[in-house]
Amino acid sequence: MTARSRWRKSGRVALLALVSVYCLFPIYFMLVQSLKTAQEDVFGNPLIVMNPTFENFEELFERRGEAPRGFVGKALKRSYPFLDWLENTVILFAGSVGITLVIGVLAAYALGRLQPPGFRLWRRVIFATYVIPHTILFVPLYQVILRLGLDDNLIALLLVYPTMALPFCVWILSAYFQHLPREVEEAALIEGASRSQAFFKIVLPMSRPVLVAAGIFALGTIASDFTLASVFLLSEHNQTIPAGLATMEVALDELLAVAGINVMAIPVVILCAGFARGYVRGLTAAMLEGS
Amino acid sequence: MASSKSRRRDVAIAYALMAPALLLMAGVLAYPIAWEVWASFTDLSPMNDGGPRFVGLANYRALVADPQFWWAATVTVGFAVVTTVVKLAIGIGFALLLVRPFRLRPLVFMAVFLPWAYPASVSVIGWYWTLSPPIPTAYSQFMGTLKYHVDGALGTGAWAFLSVTLFNIWRGSSFIGVFLLAGLNAIPTELFEYALLESKSAWRRFWVVTVPLLKPFLALAVFLSLTTAFSDLSNVWMLTAGRIVFPVIGTHAYWLAIKGGQLGAACALSLALVPFLLVVLFLLFRAFDRAERPVAAPKAAT
Repeated sequence: MTARSRWRKSGRVALLALVSVYCLFPIYFMLVQSLKTAQEDVFGNPLIVMNPTFENFEELFERRGEAPRGFVGKALKRSYPFLDWLENTVILFAGSVGITLVIGVLAAYALGRLQPPGFRLWRRVIFATYVIPHTILFVPLYQVILRLGLDDNLIALLLVYPTMALPFCVWILSAYFQHLPREVEEAALIEGASRSQAFFKIVLPMSRPVLVAAGIFALGTIASDFTLASVFLLSEHNQTIPAGLATMEVALDELLAVAGINVMAIPVVILCAGFARGYVRGLTAAMLEGS
Repeated sequence: MASSKSRRRDVAIAYALMAPALLLMAGVLAYPIAWEVWASFTDLSPMNDGGPRFVGLANYRALVADPQFWWAATVTVGFAVVTTVVKLAIGIGFALLLVRPFRLRPLVFMAVFLPWAYPASVSVIGWYWTLSPPIPTAYSQFMGTLKYHVDGALGTGAWAFLSVTLFNIWRGSSFIGVFLLAGLNAIPTELFEYALLESKSAWRRFWVVTVPLLKPFLALAVFLSLTTAFSDLSNVWMLTAGRIVFPVIGTHAYWLAIKGGQLGAACALSLALVPFLLVVLFLLFRAFDRAERPVAAPKAAT
C-alpha cells in the first residue's frame, strides 16, 4: 500500500514537472537567447547562458544610426526606432484595453440590466462576431480606414483592436450584470441615489473581479496581433514592437529581435501574472452568474 | 402607467449605451463583411477598366472548380479541428490537475497561465525563428535535421506548418486550461463528491460527471480558441512573407487580392470559411443553450 502510494506520488510529481517544463521552456529559451553574446549564440550551449549580458537590449535602444559591432560590416547595420515602437505599443495597448472596457461595460450594462427588447439576440450576435477572423476582412477594412483618412495612423488600430476582445467582454460582463441581484441597486435608488450614482458606487465596485477578467482577456487578445499592425501601420516610426520586429533582418539581427521580444513580453507577462488569480476568479464569477 | 413610461426611458438609455459598441462593430466588422459579400459577386479589380461588373456566382464557381481551393480549405479546417482537439485534451488535463489544492499549486498554476499571457505576437516570432533558424546558431543544426526529416516525410512546408501548429497548441492549451479551471470552480463540489460515491472508476466518473458538467465551458473554450487558430496562421504567414507553403484560406485570399489584384475572387475565397464557421457557431450555441436551463436544475436536484 505504501509502496503503491509512493509510486503514485512520484508519478504525480513527474507529471507536474513535465507540465511546468512544457509551459515554461519556450519562455525560458527566448529569455536565455536574448542574454547571449554573438559568440555564445553560435558556439555555446543553446540551453544555458554562460556570460549573461544586456548588450543586446542596450543596442536595441541605441541603434539609431550606425553602430557597428562584431563581425557584421557597417553597411549591413540597419537602424531601428525601437523607442518609437515601444511608445506606440504602450499607447495602443493601453488605449485599446481602455476603450474595450469602457464601451464594453456600457453595452453590457444595457444588455444585462436594462434589457431592451431582444437583448438575448443582441448579445448572441455580438458574441458570434468573435469567430470572424479579422484577417479575412483586410481589403474592405483598409478601405474604411482610407476613407476615414487614418491609414498609417495608430488611431486606426485603436478602432480595430477593441472589436477583437469586445464580443467576449460584453458577454461575460452582461451575464454578470444580469444575475446580480436587483435589490443591491434598488436599495440605493430608494435612498435617493440616481441611476448613474447607483451604477458607479455599487454595481461597478461589485463587478471588479469580472472587470479584471475582461481587461486581462482584452490585453491577451490585443497583444497577440501583429498581422493587423503590420498591414495598417506602414511607416517605420508608426509601428508597434511586433510589427517592427517582423521587419527586422533576422539573419543579421537575430539577437536584437529576441531582445525585442523580451522587452515587449516581460512587462505584459508581469502585468497578467499579477492579475492571474483575479482573472480566474472573475471568469468563475461570470460563469456562476451567467452560463 | 408610470412604469411603462420609465420602461421606455430605460430602453432608450439602453440603446444609447449600446451605441458606441455597435457603431464600432458595424464599422469594423459588419460593413466589411457586407462589402465582401457584394464584391464577391463582381469582377472588382484595380486592373479592370471601368467599374466593377456583376458576374453572379462566377467567382464561386471558379473556386469550386479549383483543386487549390479544396486543398487550402482542407488544410484550414483540418488545422482548426486538430489544434482544437489537442488543446482541449491538454487543457482539460491542466484544469483537473489544478482544481484540487496541493503544495506547489500556485507555482504550477502560474506556469500553466504564462504561455497565454506571453504576447502571441512576439512569441510566435520567437517560436518560428527558433524552429527554423535563419543563421548558424548553436541549435541550427539540430533544428535543420528535424526540419529535413519532417519535410522529407510529409512534404515541403510541413515543418513550418507544424511549428505553427505546435505554437497554437502550446498557447491555446494554456488558455483553455485556465478557462476550464475557472469553469470547474463554478461547479458545486458536492456534485463531484456525490459522483465519488456512485462510481469507483475515475475514467467513468470523468465521462459521466465531469464532461457533462463542463460541457458549456468546453463549448465556450472551443469558441474562444478557434479564432486564435486563424490569427496564428496569418501571423506566421505574414512574418515569413508567405514562406509557409501549405496554403490556407486567409493567406490564399491575401495573395489573390494583393498580388493578383483580383479583389472579387479574393472576397469569394475569404467568405468560403463562413459556412464552416456558421456550422461551428450553431453547434456551440446549442451547447450553451442547453446549459442555460440545466444550470438551475442540478441545484434543485441535489
